[in-house]
Amino acid sequence: MQPFEFAEPKTLREAIALLDTEMARPFSGGTALMLMMKAGVLHPERLVSLGKLGLDKIEIGPAGELRIGSMVSLRKIETSEAVRRGWPAISRTLLRLSNVRVRNVARLGGHLAHGDPHTDLPPLLSALGAVATIAGPAGERRAAVESLYAGYLETTLARNELIVRVDVPAMGKKQAAYLKCTTRSVDDWPAVGVAVVLDGDQQTIFVSAATDKPMRLASVDEVEQLNIEGDLHGSAAYKRHLMRVYVKRAIHEARHPSR
Amino acid sequence: MKRATHPAETGQVGRAVPRLESWLKVTGRAEYVHNLRLPGMLYGKIFRSTVSHGRIKRLDVSAAQAVGGVHRVVVAADLMTVVPDLHFGPAFHDQPMLAIDKVRYVGEPVAVVLASDPHVAEEAAHLIVAEYEPLAAVYDEVEAMTSKAVVHDELKPAGTFPDLKHLKGKKNTNIALDFHLRRGDAAAAMKVAHRVFEHRFRTQQVMHTPLEPLVSVAECTEDTITLHTASQSPSFVRIEIARLLGWPENRVRVRVPFLGGGFGAKLYIKLEALVGVLSLLVKKPVKISLTMEEQFFHITKHATTFRIKSGVDRDGRIVARECEVWWNGGAYADIGPRVTQKSGFTAPGPYEIEHVAVDSYALYTNLPPAGALRGFGIPQLVWAYESHTDMVARELGADPVEFRLKNILRDGRPHATGTIMRDAATDKVLERTAQLLDWKKPFDRGSGSVRRGRGIAVGFKACVAPTTSFALVSVNVDGSVTVYCSTVDMGQGSDTAMAQIAAEVLSVTAESVKVVHSDTDVTPYDMATLGSRSLFHMGNAVKLAAEDARDKVAALKREAGFPQDATLKDVFKKKYGMQAGNVLGQASFVPGYTSPDANGLTDNATPFWMVGATGVEIEVDTETGRVRITRLVNVADVGTPINPKIVETQLSGAAIMQIGFTLTEKMEFDAEGQLRNASLAEYKIPGFHDIPERMTNETVEAEQRSGPFGAKGVGETSTFGVSPAIANAVHDAVGVRITSLPLTPETIFMKLQESK
Repeated sequence: MQPFEFAEPKTLREAIALLDTEMARPFSGGTALMLMMKAGVLHPERLVSLGKLGLDKIEIGPAGELRIGSMVSLRKIETSEAVRRGWPAISRTLLRLSNVRVRNVARLGGHLAHGDPHTDLPPLLSALGAVATIAGPAGERRAAVESLYAGYLETTLARNELIVRVDVPAMGKKQAAYLKCTTRSVDDWPAVGVAVVLDGDQQTIFVSAATDKPMRLASVDEVEQLNIEGDLHGSAAYKRHLMRVYVKRAIHEARHPSR
Repeated sequence: MKRATHPAETGQVGRAVPRLESWLKVTGRAEYVHNLRLPGMLYGKIFRSTVSHGRIKRLDVSAAQAVGGVHRVVVAADLMTVVPDLHFGPAFHDQPMLAIDKVRYVGEPVAVVLASDPHVAEEAAHLIVAEYEPLAAVYDEVEAMTSKAVVHDELKPAGTFPDLKHLKGKKNTNIALDFHLRRGDAAAAMKVAHRVFEHRFRTQQVMHTPLEPLVSVAECTEDTITLHTASQSPSFVRIEIARLLGWPENRVRVRVPFLGGGFGAKLYIKLEALVGVLSLLVKKPVKISLTMEEQFFHITKHATTFRIKSGVDRDGRIVARECEVWWNGGAYADIGPRVTQKSGFTAPGPYEIEHVAVDSYALYTNLPPAGALRGFGIPQLVWAYESHTDMVARELGADPVEFRLKNILRDGRPHATGTIMRDAATDKVLERTAQLLDWKKPFDRGSGSVRRGRGIAVGFKACVAPTTSFALVSVNVDGSVTVYCSTVDMGQGSDTAMAQIAAEVLSVTAESVKVVHSDTDVTPYDMATLGSRSLFHMGNAVKLAAEDARDKVAALKREAGFPQDATLKDVFKKKYGMQAGNVLGQASFVPGYTSPDANGLTDNATPFWMVGATGVEIEVDTETGRVRITRLVNVADVGTPINPKIVETQLSGAAIMQIGFTLTEKMEFDAEGQLRNASLAEYKIPGFHDIPERMTNETVEAEQRSGPFGAKGVGETSTFGVSPAIANAVHDAVGVRITSLPLTPETIFMKLQESK
C-alpha cells in the first residue's frame, strides 16, 4: 500500500471540496475500499473520512417513510426495531449480508456507492422504490436508488457527490423478499440475487450479481434476454437457470415469508 | 493465572484439561513469529514468476533498487555468493531459494526486495521487470507421465535416503518416484472373478489456509544463525540449514513459538532457507511474512487421479483390487514422493483382499508445489476407494454397510503389505457410525425439490515410519515439573497433552507443568509435528523421560536415607549442601519398522493405525444442485484418549476442514497455469453457516497398547471419510454419482439434467 492522506472533515461542504480531485476517495466504513487498496487495485492519494459528518440516524418521515442516514452502519439497520416492524425484508436481508464483523463497520452509503453488483441492498432498495438524497457542490439532488448504477463498479454519482440519506417508502400492503444463491460457501458472494416486491397484482423484480448491475425485469421471461457471463460462481447457463429458480422462489417468499 | 504445583489427587490422563495456553491466547499475549520485530530488521517482499515454465531472459531490478528506503534487491546470483548451491527440500534437493535461469510455476519466487518498511518493499517489488522465454508446460498429473514437457532436467534426490538413490541423475522424466506393491496376482484373480468393477476418480488442488500465514525471521552473528519461524519441524530446519551452509548443527538455532495453524503447510523447510541466506548476505535480521494470498504459491495439497478396479466373487467378497494413483506434485517435490509411498500402500483400503496391485506415482508438473496436508494423501485415497466400494455394493444390490463389514480388515488379519493388523478397531468404528445414523431404520427421503440421502465411508492411515522423538523432563527442587520437547503446539493441544502425560507419571496436576517450546538450542531432536505422530512418539518419549526422572528422584531419596514422601529440598540440602538443583529425566522413542521389500511387502509397516469413519445425512436441492449437510457423524479409533475434549475438537475440526475440500475449495487454473482465484474472496473455505446443524464426534473404546497410556494420534482421523460419505449420500438422494471433487452445485445439477 502506498502512503495516503487521511482527511476527517466536520462538514459536508468541506468533505465535498476535499473530494474534488481525481485521486481522492470517500471513506465511510472502508470494508471494501481497504481490501482494494491492499490488493493494489486502487491507489488513492487522499481518503476523505465521512465519520465526523453525523448522517447516522434512522428516522420515520412524515409520510411514514423510512429515512436512513448514509453513515448508519448495516448492523444498526439490521437491529433497528422500526425497520424490523415496518420493512422486515430489509432486516432479513441484512442477517445474511456478509458477516456481523463487516456489518458492524460497513455503512449504508458506502454499500450503495461501491457499485458492486454482488451486494445485497441495491437490488432490494431499488425494488422497494427507495430514493437517495445526494449532496454535491451545487447542493442536494434526489435520485431513485435504481438509477445509481451504470455498470460493474460504476455509478452515476460524480466524484464529488455523496449519498447523505436514503428514503424507503412505507410498505403499506406491499410484500417484499430478497433471496440470494451462493454456489460455494454459504457466506460467499452471491451468484444470483433477486429482490421482489408485490403490490396487489403488480410485481417489481430486480436481479443482480449475475448481471453487471441490478436490473429491473418486467417479467420472469426477461431472464432469457439478460447478458450473463460465466465466472468462478458458475457457467452463464447455470447462473441463468439459478436466476429463473430464484425469481420464482423470491415471489413465493414475498407472499409467504418463511419467518 | 496461578499454576501452583501440588500433588494431583485424581488421574491426569483421561481428564478434559482446558488448554494450558488458552488464557494467553484469549488475552492476546501468546507469542507468534508474526509479532516479532528485531532491531535493524529488514522486511523482504518476494517478486514472483508470471509464467508457468520459462527461461529467464531478462531480470531488471534497477527501478526497484532506486526506490527510496529500499535496502537491497536480491536475486539468485546474490544468494549464491553466500551458498553455492541454493537447492533445498526434504526428499529431493530440487527447489532453489530463488529461481535460477528457469521458472517452473506461476508464483515461483524470483527476487526479493529488502526494506526497513514492508510497504516500501512491496511497492518496490511491483517495479521489477522480468522477461521469460516460454517453455512447454504440463499441468495434468496423468499427462505428466508421458509428456514431452519436462519440469526438471534431472532428478536430484537427497543423498540421505537409501531408497531414493536409484533416482539420482535420471533425465527426461516427470516421475519423481514410483511405488509398487504386489500381493498375490491381481490380474489373474480379476480374470476369474464373478464381477469386475473399474472406476476413475479425481481430487482437486487445494490450500491449507492456516490463519497465520507462513512467516520466518533470521538473525545471524559471525558464526551462528537463529531462525524464529512458524515451523512444524524445527529439528529438520536446523539440519537442512546446517547442510546448506556447511555449518555444524550447534551453530544453527531454530526457535518456534505458537503456530496459528499448520496442517502440514509449515513442514520441513519453507521460507527458512531464503531468510537465513538473506540475513547472512545483508548481515541484518530479515523477516518474510507471506500474505494469505501468497500461500497459494508455496505449498498445497496434491490433486490426484486414481484408477481403481475390483474383482468380487459370488459371495460378495472382494478378491482382487488394482490401484493406480497419480499424484500431482507441482514443480518441486517437497514431501510428495513420501506421500506417494507412505500413503500409497494403503490405497486398497481397510479391506481384506487376497490379490492386490498398487502403482503410485509422484509427478512433477508446472503448478505450485504440493506436500502434506492433514492426512498426508489419505483423504484423496479414501475418496476414491470408498466411492468405488459404495458403487460396487450398490451394483451388487448389497447394503453398503453390510458389504463393507463383510470385507473389512479385522485385527489379527494381514494388510496388503503383509503386516498383521493390531489395535485397529476398524469394524467397531464402522458399526458405531452406522448405529449412530440409525442405518437400519427407515429414512425420510424428502419431497418436491428437496431430496434427502445418507452415506457412509471408512478409511485408515498408517502412521509414517520410521521416525524418532527425544524428550527431557526436569523435576525442579520445589517439585515443579518442566518438559522440554520439540513438538510444536499449532493449535492441536500438544502442550496440554504432554503436560498431562508428565503429570500423570509424576503425580502433579497437568496445569502446573511447564512445557518449553521448541528451541533447538534447548529442546532435543524430534522428527516433526506431523501425520498425527506426536502424541504417540513424543508422548511415549515424555512418558519415558518422566519415568526416568521419577526413578532418579526415588533413587536419590533412597541413597540419601530419606523416606519416599520427603521433599526434594531436604534431600538436596543433605546431599549437595543447598536447596537448589533439578533432577533430569531423558528418553528417546523409536518404534520398530521394517522397510518394504521390492514388492512393497513388510511385516511391520507402521507403529500404529488410525481409523476413522464418517456418516452424513444431506439434502440436495434438485433445482440448484446445492447440498446441505443436515447431520454429520464422525467416529474414530484414537486408542484411549488422553484429553477427551481436545479429541472431540480435533475430530470436528478435521471434518469441517474436509467439508471445505469436498464442497467448495478448489484452486482454479487457466490453460496457462495461472491461478484464477488466489484470494479468500474467490477461494471459499467453509464459514459458520456451512457447518452441519447436527454433528456427533465419538471415539470407540479402544487401546493402542504401544501408545502412551493406550493413546494414539487423532489430528487427521476424521478427514478420511467425509468426502466419499457426502458423495455416497448425494447418490443415495438423487441417484447421480460424482467422481471429481469438489461436489459443486453446478456439477450435481448438470448430472441431474443428464440423468433425466
